[in-house]
Amino acid sequence: MNILIGTILLAIGAATMLRHLSRTQPDALPDIFTRTKQTTTFMVPRIFAGLIGAGFLAALLPVDQVERFFGESAGVTGVLFATLLGALTPGGPFVAFAIGASALKAGAALAPLMAYVTAWCIFNFNRALAYEMSFMGRRFTAIRHIVSLPVPIILGCLLLVI
Amino acid sequence: MTGMAKNSTLPGSSTPRKLVDGSLIFLIALGVAGAIGVWFLKGPDVFWQILGHEVVFAAALMPKIVAGVLIASALPFLISRDRITAAIGPESGWRGLAIAAAAGAIIPGGPSVTYPLALGLMAAGADLGAGIAIVSGWVLLGLNRTLIWELSFLPADIVALRFVLCLPFPILLGLATRKLWKDFAP
Repeated sequence: MNILIGTILLAIGAATMLRHLSRTQPDALPDIFTRTKQTTTFMVPRIFAGLIGAGFLAALLPVDQVERFFGESAGVTGVLFATLLGALTPGGPFVAFAIGASALKAGAALAPLMAYVTAWCIFNFNRALAYEMSFMGRRFTAIRHIVSLPVPIILGCLLLVI
Repeated sequence: MTGMAKNSTLPGSSTPRKLVDGSLIFLIALGVAGAIGVWFLKGPDVFWQILGHEVVFAAALMPKIVAGVLIASALPFLISRDRITAAIGPESGWRGLAIAAAAGAIIPGGPSVTYPLALGLMAAGADLGAGIAIVSGWVLLGLNRTLIWELSFLPADIVALRFVLCLPFPILLGLATRKLWKDFAP
């Protein structure tokens, strides 16, 4: 259902843009269609490979037991571990929030919880594999992940000291 | 770099785009490794179930991807390059990064909206730092996900604390990118 709504909204957006361009710069249209065809051809095999691969990897990760780990290691180690778990938690718009909520009920500390949720927001490997690599390329994806790496660790450690 | 909308490079492409390149091989290798793991650890039934599910999902996604790519391809023609460059180009400073991060946080929609948008804006004059700020603004502060999903699962004070603490990071990450990858040419 979500896909349908998103598709319709994007299609309306694209159609509006194209209509506007067909009036203002009609000679740009063939160029736009060529680019769209090239980029789509580039992306389709990557989207399929990324989604299927991420689906298999997600099935191999025992994320349903993630919340058990929050209480086991404290301090900086706990924050680093939570960051790793967050990065490995597969996609969906809310998976890590749901896991974070049950971890909180089970008595998780604030610092690892924050590191976990933030790491998932940043890294979410399904999204990175299927979408970010396809749309933005390997280089952009790698650079964003490298510069973002400290963020969940900084947030977690900040909450350890305040 | 100027007039990229007119030459043959694809919007925002960071590398020459060959159909089969390292990234595709990497994805396929990862998928094959995952597939072998699932086949032997979880059994053929689970393997086929996942494969079927993901193939159907990817197929259902295709119209959305095409629409997103169309938008990304059209963006450089719609907004003048000078205005984009002035707002979120390499010389736009932290204010440009703040604009980019806010755009990422405010614009609703999932990955098939935000990535094409970032790609299109990068083709239209935004620099790598601004691209990182857009995506970081979305992943860290995306209002849609924060308000709808995060708030329904986690207590409001924790959500607010995370949001406030994350607030400076899209700008800082953009600044760090500009410093560290100054020579990055799209």
